[in-house]
Amino acid sequence: MDRILIIEDDPETAAAVRHEAEALGCATDHRDTLAAGVEAATTGQYKVIVLDRMLPGGDGVDAIARIRAGGSTAMILVLSALGRAANRVEGLEKGADDYLPKPFEPEELRARLRALLRRGTIQVLDNDLLAFGELEIRLKARTVHVKRNHVPTSPKEFDLITYFARNAGQVVTRMQLLENVWNLHFDPGTNVVDVHVGRLRRKLEEAGATAIQTARGEGYIFAPLSA
Amino acid sequence: MTTARPIAARATLRLAALMALAVTVLSLAAMALQYRLVEIRLMAAQQTLLTADLNGLAALYDQRRIIALRQAIDYRATAATGEEMLLLMDRDGQPLAGTRQDWPATLAPAGEDFTSDGAVEFSEGNTRWLAVARTLPGGFPLLVARSLQPVDDTLAALRRGMLGLIGALLVAGSAVGWLAARSVMGRINRINALADQVAEGALDARLPGARSEDEFGLLETHVHAMLDRIENLNRATHRLSDTIAHELRTPLNRMLQKLAKIEGQDDLTADLKAEMRQAIRMFDSLLDISRAEADQGTGGGLVPVDLSATAAEVWDLYDPLAEDKGLLTEADITPGLRILGDRNLIAQVLSNLIDNAIKYCAAGDRLTLTLTPHHDRVLMRVADTGPGLPDDLRAEAFDRFTRAERDRNIKGHGLGLALVRAIAARHGARLTLPPTERGFALEIRWPRLQQSD
Repeated sequence: MDRILIIEDDPETAAAVRHEAEALGCATDHRDTLAAGVEAATTGQYKVIVLDRMLPGGDGVDAIARIRAGGSTAMILVLSALGRAANRVEGLEKGADDYLPKPFEPEELRARLRALLRRGTIQVLDNDLLAFGELEIRLKARTVHVKRNHVPTSPKEFDLITYFARNAGQVVTRMQLLENVWNLHFDPGTNVVDVHVGRLRRKLEEAGATAIQTARGEGYIFAPLSA
Repeated sequence: MTTARPIAARATLRLAALMALAVTVLSLAAMALQYRLVEIRLMAAQQTLLTADLNGLAALYDQRRIIALRQAIDYRATAATGEEMLLLMDRDGQPLAGTRQDWPATLAPAGEDFTSDGAVEFSEGNTRWLAVARTLPGGFPLLVARSLQPVDDTLAALRRGMLGLIGALLVAGSAVGWLAARSVMGRINRINALADQVAEGALDARLPGARSEDEFGLLETHVHAMLDRIENLNRATHRLSDTIAHELRTPLNRMLQKLAKIEGQDDLTADLKAEMRQAIRMFDSLLDISRAEADQGTGGGLVPVDLSATAAEVWDLYDPLAEDKGLLTEADITPGLRILGDRNLIAQVLSNLIDNAIKYCAAGDRLTLTLTPHHDRVLMRVADTGPGLPDDLRAEAFDRFTRAERDRNIKGHGLGLALVRAIAARHGARLTLPPTERGFALEIRWPRLQQSD
C-alpha cells in the first residue's frame, strides 16, 4: 500500500486530503508543523508528500531541499494558499513536482495525486511508440496514426495528445493541461483549453478513435478503446 | 547608470578648479599691490638721484655759470656709466658737452631752474629716461636725465617671478584638485555602485567594511538606514499579500470542500464554484497588481524571455476560441525578440488583452496581434474592430474596477487593464492607447534585450 504524508496545519484541509488519498487506496500520515513534517518525510517511506507552505515553523517550499537531502524520493505536491502564478513558479523551481493552490476542488487534488502516484512507479516512458489499440503515437517523428491513417496535428495538439497518453485512463483536469502543455500557471478565466481538446477529439473521432472523454465537472479522460 | 560618473567627477573637478582659481586670483592681487609699491619706490629713488644730479649742477652753475657746467658735464661724460644722460648746448644748438651730441627729438625744454619739478619720461631705443630739460639764461639748453633701465629690469624680474609663481600655484591647485577629486570620486563611486545594485533589485546590498568618521561615513550610514527602511517596507508588502492570501484562501478552501459534499444540486454548486473561482481570480489580480507595483523599478526576478515565443504560445492558445466565435484573426510576430521579463506575467498580459477582445467583439470583427522591433524596444500591439472604449472611459481605463455601464452583462471584474498596466510598468514598458478608427487598440513598448550571444 502506498503511503502519503500530509504536512498541513489546517485540520479541515488535512481531512480533505486524507479523504482523497484514502479514496485512492493509500495510507496517510499527518503532521501539522514543518519540523515534524520534515522529520517524518526523511525517516518514513512515502510515495507522495502533500506539503503546505505557511506552516508553523516556516515555508514548506524552503524545506523541499532538506527533505531531498534527507534521502526522500517521494513526489512532492505543494498545496498552498499562495496561489498566484509567481508563487507556483517559485514552488516548482524550488523542486516541487506539482503545485496546487488553495482552494482546490477535491477532483483536482485526486487527479494530481493519481498522476504523482503513477509518476512514482512508471518512470520509463521513453520508448518511441505509444500504442493504444489502433491509435499510435510516435514521439520522435511527432506523428499520430489511427488505423494506420495519419492524423495531422498542430504542435500543441501533439503535446496535448502526448500528455493525455502519458496519463491514459486517468482524469486530467483543465488546470493540469494548462500547466503541463502550455506551461501557464494562472487561471485565464475562460475555459480556453476546451476548444483545443474539442478540436483534437474531433480529429481523432473523424479518424475513427473515440479516445478522449469528458469527465463531467472534473476534466477529461484519455481512454482509447482497445479494439 | 554609468553615464552619471563622468558628470559627478566633473562637479568635483569644477570645485577644485574654482578653489585653485580663487587662490590664484587672490595671490595675483597681493602681488600686483606689491608690484605697484616696488614700482613707486624705485621711481622715487630715480627721482631722488635726478634731484641730486640737478642740485650738484646748480651749485656749479651758481659759481661759474656755463663754463663750470661744461667742465663738470665733460668730466661726467668721460666716466659715463650709461645710467645718466647729460647734454649742454649753446645758443645755436651746438653741443658744448654731454654724453650725446644731439637733442632728443621728442623733448622740449621748459623753464630755467634746477629743480626736478616737471621731470618727464621719454623713450629712446629700448630705454626709458626720466629727464629734466631746461633752457638756462642766455639760451643754453640743458638736459639732465636718469635711465629708468634699472627700474624696468627690476620690475621685469619681478614680473617673471610672479608669472612663475602663478604658474606654480595653478599647477599645485590643479594637482591638489585632481587628487581631491580622485579620492572623493572613489568614495562616491562606492555609493553609486551600491545605488546601481539596489536599482537592479538587490535591496539587501550594503557597503562592506566600517564607516569612516567623516561626512562620507555619515552619508553611507544614512544611505544604509534608508535602504533598511525600503527593504523592510518591501518585505512587509510581500508578507502582507502572503498573509491576505492565506487568511482568505483557507476559509474559501473549507467552503469548497463542504460544497463538494452537497449532492443532488449540481447546477447550484457549479454556479457557486464558478463564483468562487471568479472571486479568487479577482483577488489574485489585486495581489498581482500590488506586487507588480511594489517590484516596479527593481529588475529583480526578471530573466531573459523570448517574447516572440511567449506571444505565439498565448496567441495559439486563444486563436481557436476567437475563430469559433467568428472573429477574423491575424498574428504578425517577428521571431526571436527577447526582453528581460517574467514569462507568466507577460502571458497574463496577453491573455487579458486577447480574452477581452474575444469577449467584447462580435462575429466578423477583426483581431490582430503584432510584435515588431521598434528602435531599442519591442512593440506589441493588440487591436480589434469591436466596440472599443467609450470616450468617457479612456482616461480611467487603467484604474482598478473601471467598467463601462454598457458592459454590465459581460462577465469581468474591471481589473484586467489595471493588471496589464502594472505588469507593463514592472517591466519598464511603455503602454499607450493609440487612437483607432474603430475598435480598441493597445500598444506596449517593451525594453528590448540586445542579443549578446
